[in-house]
Order: sequence, then structure tokens, then C-alpha cells
Amino acid sequence: MISGLLGVAFEKPSTHDFVWSCWGGSGLGCFNFIMFLLVISVGAFVLMFWTAFRKPQIVPGKWQVAMETGVGFVREQIVVQMIGPEGMGFLAFLTTIFFFITLGNILEVIPGINFPLNSRLAFPLVMALTVWVLYNYIGVRKHGFLGYLKMVMFPPGVPTALKPFLALIEFFSVVLVRPFTLTVRLTANMIAGHFLLATFFLGTIVLFTGTPYVLGVASFALGVLMVGFEIFVAVLQAFIFAVLTASYIAGAMASEH
Amino acid sequence: MHSLIATIYAAAEPINDKKDLYPKLQELIVGAIAFGVLFFFMWKWVLPRVNQVLEARSQKIQGDLESAEQAKTEAQKELGDYREQLAGAREEANRIIEEARKTAEAMRQDLQKKAEEEYGAIVGRAQEQIRAERDRVFQELKSQVGELSIALAAKVVGGSLDRDRQLALIDEYIAELGGMAPSGNGNGGPGRE
Repeated sequence: MISGLLGVAFEKPSTHDFVWSCWGGSGLGCFNFIMFLLVISVGAFVLMFWTAFRKPQIVPGKWQVAMETGVGFVREQIVVQMIGPEGMGFLAFLTTIFFFITLGNILEVIPGINFPLNSRLAFPLVMALTVWVLYNYIGVRKHGFLGYLKMVMFPPGVPTALKPFLALIEFFSVVLVRPFTLTVRLTANMIAGHFLLATFFLGTIVLFTGTPYVLGVASFALGVLMVGFEIFVAVLQAFIFAVLTASYIAGAMASEH
Repeated sequence: MHSLIATIYAAAEPINDKKDLYPKLQELIVGAIAFGVLFFFMWKWVLPRVNQVLEARSQKIQGDLESAEQAKTEAQKELGDYREQLAGAREEANRIIEEARKTAEAMRQDLQKKAEEEYGAIVGRAQEQIRAERDRVFQELKSQVGELSIALAAKVVGGSLDRDRQLALIDEYIAELGGMAPSGNGNGGPGRE
């Protein structure tokens, strides 16, 4: 009926948007859009820190101040807050996590790219598994295997009747579920963010060709709003990932619950 | 409106497949390598430099603060010295002024004294002169009066009078007069030849 009014067919965003064919190579050597984004993220990461600290100055330039503030943020707000001064050894790990995730996320709103690296499950998963290995290793090394298991499963101050249930829950939560919640929280946020932006901006194109084209204006305005929101989410999710990692490490290091 | 939305939804029904979202082996491997490289870079290159520059900065700030403190102490000490010197100089100036005032006063008094002395001397000399003059005049007058009296008496008596005796008489007379003279200087009497 009115379908003729729409000049362009609306292509709903789908999971297919997350599959990219190879530009060259195949199998493990396949270089596609995702690998391209990974190169950009790693390159940006190295470039940022390299330009800031190539010749570190006692009286720093603007860029050095900015990057020092970034590292200082991780140190003060994540390491010191969650672990304390004895957690400084994990600063490199947590800073890498925070900045790598932020960069991978922020690609979502970079014009011409508009695709978050971390919407690919593999990258958060790699980091989450690393975190899982790390904090369990710390716990076992500090308390012994059984001691760590006991500390995890039988937190003190629990009524005896609840102990078996809590032990089961804690075991699942700490030993099995944590890496997957870390992974899924980040990936799902990025997938949802990408869907959100894609819907609004594709919708803008379609609605502008429709009759009450003013709807396109609304869609575009909301899309712009969502870009701001997604920038916030990109940093926030990186922060959450790093904070939870620090909290897991702190939990494993703790002598008493 | 309703049909517009219906149209949008009907436009193309995409096929969603959860397998599209699964991680690929290649992504896992390359992602792990990338993360490892970045971690290594952060651990071995970035943080040592950050710590180094932070350490250097805090040392520099501490050093600056210390040298500033030292400079402040020195400046205060110097200020105290200057104030002391200034007070000394003021005292010295006061002393010099006082001394000068005393000297001036002494000089003034000295000059006044000298002036008075000179004045006294001048007045004395003048009086001496006046007195000498008066004596001289008196002497002259006395002799003239004598001569004159003799001449007069000679005329009256007829020149029989012995001149020397007459002069003696006159002298005696004048001596009597001299005893009555206002200046009353006894040595008014002329020497007899």
C-alpha cells in the first residue's frame, strides 16, 4: 500500500553484521575486518603510550599529562581502591585491560569503522580466561589448593544450615561462572550498542525517504544521542571489567574473608 | 502510519544465527597474542618509564621545596642582618648629629667669647686713647693757662714778677684745680722742667 513511499528497503541489523569474510588469506591467516580492527586497536594502544612516554619529561607536555592521568586513574581508582597498595604488581595487567577494552569499544563510534572489536566474543573471552587463571593461581599459591577452595566455599559467619547451599553457589560463582559473566557482560553490551546505533542510523536513511520524513530527523537525533551514550558505555564497560578483575584478585589475595 | 511500520518490518526479515556470534579459533589465538604483546609492552616499557618520571618529578619537587626553604631561611637571616645594620647606622647618624650640634654649640660659644673679649679690648683701647688725649689736652691747656696768667699778671703788675716763681705758683694752683677735676686722675700734674 504505502510501501512505495519508502525509497529504500530497510535492512534490519542482524547477527550477520558480526560475520566478516576474509580480505585475503584463509583459515588462521585470514585477514578480515576484525583483524583490521585488532591491528588498529593494538596500533593505537602502542602509539598512544609510545608518543606519551617516548621521552618522558619531568615537566610534562599535554599528551604526557593525559596519559599519565589515564595510568593514574587505573592506579588510584582501580588498583588502590580494589586491592590496595600491595596490588601495584597488577597495575600493568589492569592498565592493559582497561585501555585495550576501551580502544576496542570506542571503535563503535569512530566514523567509517562503527564496529566494536569487543562485540566479537573471542577478545573479551581471552581476557576473561586470563583473569580467571590469574586470580585462581594467586588464590591457590597463597592459600594452597584446599585452603583456597575452603576460603571460597565456606566464608565465615554463615549459619550452618546454609553452608552447603552457599558452598555450592560460591563454588559456581567464583570458579566457574566469573569468566563467562565478564565475557558476556562486555560482549553483550557491545553487540547491543552496535544494534542500537545501526538501527537508528539505518532507520534515519529509510525514514528520510519516507513520507513523514520528519521521523528521520527524530531517528537521527536519537542516534546522535546514542553515540554519546555509547562512548560512555565503552569506557564504563572497560572500567567495570578492570574493576571486577581487581576485585577478583583482591578476593584471592585476602587472608580472611 | 501503521502500515509504514508494518512495511519496515516486512522489508527484509534477516536470519539471525547465534553461531554468527561465536568466537572463532583464529580470533582467540590472535587476540591472545595481541593482548600478550600489549601487556608486555605495558609491563616492560610503559610503566617503568611512568614510574621513573614520577619518581624524578617528586624528587625534583622535594629538592625545589628544600632549596626554597633554604633560600627563605637565608633571606630571613640576611634581612635580620640588614635591619641590625640599619639600626646601627641610625644610631651612628644620631650620634654624629649630636656631636655636630655640640661642636657647633662649642664653636658658637667660643666665637661669642672671643667677640666679647675683642669688644672689651677695643673698648679698653679706646678708653685708653681717650684718656691719653684728655691728659695731653689737659697738659697743653695747663701750660697755656700758665703762660696766659703770667702774661696777664705781668701786664697788671708791670712785668716785675719772676717768671719761674710765678710758674710754680700757677702749678700749685692748677694742682688744686686738678684735685677738683671731674675725671679725678691724680697724675694730671705736668712734670716740672
